[in-house]
Amino acid sequence: MKPTDSTDIYRDRHYRLWFTLGCYGLLAATVILLTVFIYLPVAWAFTKSLYQFEIGGDSQFVGLGNYREFFNDPTLWPSFGHMLFLTSFAVCVRLSMPLIVAKLIHSVRHEKWRYFYRILFLVPIVVPGVAVQLIWQGLIYADKGLLNEALMALGRGNWTHGWLSNPSTALISCAFVGFPWIGGFEVLIYYAGLSGIPDSVNEAALLEGCVGIRKFFKIDIPMVLSQLKLILMLTIIGGVQGFEGMLILTKGGPGFETTVPGLWMYYNAFSFQRMGYACAIGVLLFVLIFGLTVLNFKYFKSSEEIQAIQ
Amino acid sequence: MNARKIFKFVSLIVILAVGTWLLWPPSDEGETAGAAAAEAPGGPRAGVKYTIRFSPGNSYLPGMTPDGIGSPLKGLADVVADYEKLHPDTHIELVTAPVGVREYLVTQLISGMAPEIINVNVEDVWQDIQKNWYVKFNKLLDSPNPYVKPGEPGSVRWWDQIKYPGISRGTAAPDRNYYCICYDMVETGIYYNKNIFRKVGVEEPKDFEDFMRICQKIKDYTNEKGEHPYTPILLGQWTMADWCLDLFFDQFYAQITPGIDLSAGQDPERELYLKHYLDWDEISFLRKKGFFGKKDPRWREVFKVMYRFRQMANRNLTTIDPIREFVTQSGAMYWAASPFTYHLMVDKKLGFDWGIFYMPAFTQATSKYADGHPMCVIGGPGTQYEITNSAISDTGNPETSERLKRVGDFLYFLMAPQNYIKVVNETPRYLTNIIGVPVQPPLQPFDDFLKRDYSSSKWMFTFDLKFSETLLRMLDLYLNDGITLDEFIWWIETSLEQACQNIELRKPPDWAELQRSWDSKAPARAKMKDLPDEAYR
Repeated sequence: MKPTDSTDIYRDRHYRLWFTLGCYGLLAATVILLTVFIYLPVAWAFTKSLYQFEIGGDSQFVGLGNYREFFNDPTLWPSFGHMLFLTSFAVCVRLSMPLIVAKLIHSVRHEKWRYFYRILFLVPIVVPGVAVQLIWQGLIYADKGLLNEALMALGRGNWTHGWLSNPSTALISCAFVGFPWIGGFEVLIYYAGLSGIPDSVNEAALLEGCVGIRKFFKIDIPMVLSQLKLILMLTIIGGVQGFEGMLILTKGGPGFETTVPGLWMYYNAFSFQRMGYACAIGVLLFVLIFGLTVLNFKYFKSSEEIQAIQ
Repeated sequence: MNARKIFKFVSLIVILAVGTWLLWPPSDEGETAGAAAAEAPGGPRAGVKYTIRFSPGNSYLPGMTPDGIGSPLKGLADVVADYEKLHPDTHIELVTAPVGVREYLVTQLISGMAPEIINVNVEDVWQDIQKNWYVKFNKLLDSPNPYVKPGEPGSVRWWDQIKYPGISRGTAAPDRNYYCICYDMVETGIYYNKNIFRKVGVEEPKDFEDFMRICQKIKDYTNEKGEHPYTPILLGQWTMADWCLDLFFDQFYAQITPGIDLSAGQDPERELYLKHYLDWDEISFLRKKGFFGKKDPRWREVFKVMYRFRQMANRNLTTIDPIREFVTQSGAMYWAASPFTYHLMVDKKLGFDWGIFYMPAFTQATSKYADGHPMCVIGGPGTQYEITNSAISDTGNPETSERLKRVGDFLYFLMAPQNYIKVVNETPRYLTNIIGVPVQPPLQPFDDFLKRDYSSSKWMFTFDLKFSETLLRMLDLYLNDGITLDEFIWWIETSLEQACQNIELRKPPDWAELQRSWDSKAPARAKMKDLPDEAYR
């Protein structure tokens, strides 16, 4: 019997089969693209990390030789140290400064002005990251850049530095790029979180006399934990993976004072042609990011998850 | 659409048009002429069978104005035009490819898309010889240059045309094959400001200690305002890691090479120039015997003297603009390569006399390991042209490729004296490497420097790319007080160990042969002092 209405259509076995196959067919394109461009290269990198492999040259199986070499590489611990410092620094500033700015904007009474400030803090997003790095390198940290000239004008000529070339200031100078870290999408995400706090909660807090700083810590922050979790994860992943900032600002120097594992991987792959070795570094970074993400999911609960548990 | 909207729309278009017109770059007669010169031979023509892409490098690229001073170059464009007139089926396309950027070069070579002729330092090529990315020059060099008149050098073998055969043969790769033609020569020297020297009361140094004394005197010189206006010598990061290291290394190791040069006499052609030269395999072997590490006192001495020398130079080795500092008379000396001569000659605003001397030798006063022999050569081949695998894209076989024959033919034409002089001697920057084409008089001092012995080894670029990078970085850090000498030596030793392992994986050296040679030199080493302990066993 042929189906007569829309409900019956779904009961028809043939139709269900074709419908399911159609859905899989539509998904197949995405799965194939993901497999070819994401999963296969990752699998390839895992495999090649076991080879001594140069672009254009022969592969030679070395087992875990690349990993062993990396653990004996004198750049290993310093570079992980730098990565840890930069990531921790980025986590601290990205979890705090944009949240404070978002709270301030959210506290503005008139919508017109809130809108104005949202736009004001979002505009810097359109400036490409590379341009920002070059501005800091060439205009602010240069020998005759803004920072040194300002110090000279203040009569503090003895405080001037080659900020990016001096081993004692290079890493912290890199961390400070983007100061005061408030012109980004984080502000918008926190703002959305703050806007999502139900009016009933805000009113109850007001009635209980929970206002100002106390409300910020007791009500607002717990209510935007989902957003904090998202930013935390993105910052950690970006911190572990990222190297382009260092490449532009210092090329990892002076010495290896600002080298991070990602940058060393890049140099090994494309400058030294040691693809197998670079793949081994990439695999280790993957494992690290994967582990941190699992820990983050397991131990850092969002407000919704806390409510669900309760 | 109402009138107001139309007005807004039209106004925007007018503002855009006026803005574009105002911001349009002014036409530059010189630039256009230069561009036209570059384009002239490259224009598409009917009947072209071979298009040869040629990346000559900025030194000779038509339309380029060297150092931004003087007239744009046109010599090569004229030669290319002459060749195309002679061979209407061939089009030489002059391209500006960033072949110095390894990431670019590697991707182009692996895909067979690199220009047919490129200009890369041959040491970079050595890293890739096992990958068949480059065509050997051996056959071309042993064949006559058809553009040379009968009876003249080169009419029997191209080699005979070469003015510096020793240096040119020194470019043979470790597999003993040639992968480039040394188009011209370059050497470094210390340019100095004679006015400042007169004011301070110093003259060209006689030896290294004298040089240090002069530098100190310049550093201490005080003007009427009570300032110290002069930096004694202007140096860059690369100057220290590449030139300075090789020179100083030779000063301490040349006298012990009879005991450690393990491939001496194995390649008579290369030995013409590279006598006492330590190549990759030897460095790897000697490392196993304790050299180039904390147990090797000469190795420490090299870097101790470098540190001392560095104290006389500019504060920042990486971001300095030494040319500006020298021409504005902030620096009394500048260690640079011969092309800088051109800059000084054509800079009309230059308000001082200048001279050139070579780095003076170490004596016993500098170190107990010095013997006073003159500083070696660190220059040599300037522009080096290689033929890439793109040149054999027609058959994939160098023996049968017609395309490769045409590429080779063009290089012969380029090196014929009547054409060569138009290109190399267009400006006084590089020394000629063809018999019968004179060196320009301002470059004569460099021609004399090139007659010295060659360095005992080249540490940057040739050994291992990762090691080169580590050396460059850590030397910079050490010279700028970022780490101690002990820490620096540890870094380099560790990195060298890894580089040796890497070399062993890529191309295992013939350890047995090296050991035999090592053993045969034991009597010579027994007479030498302060070698690592393993050297005496």
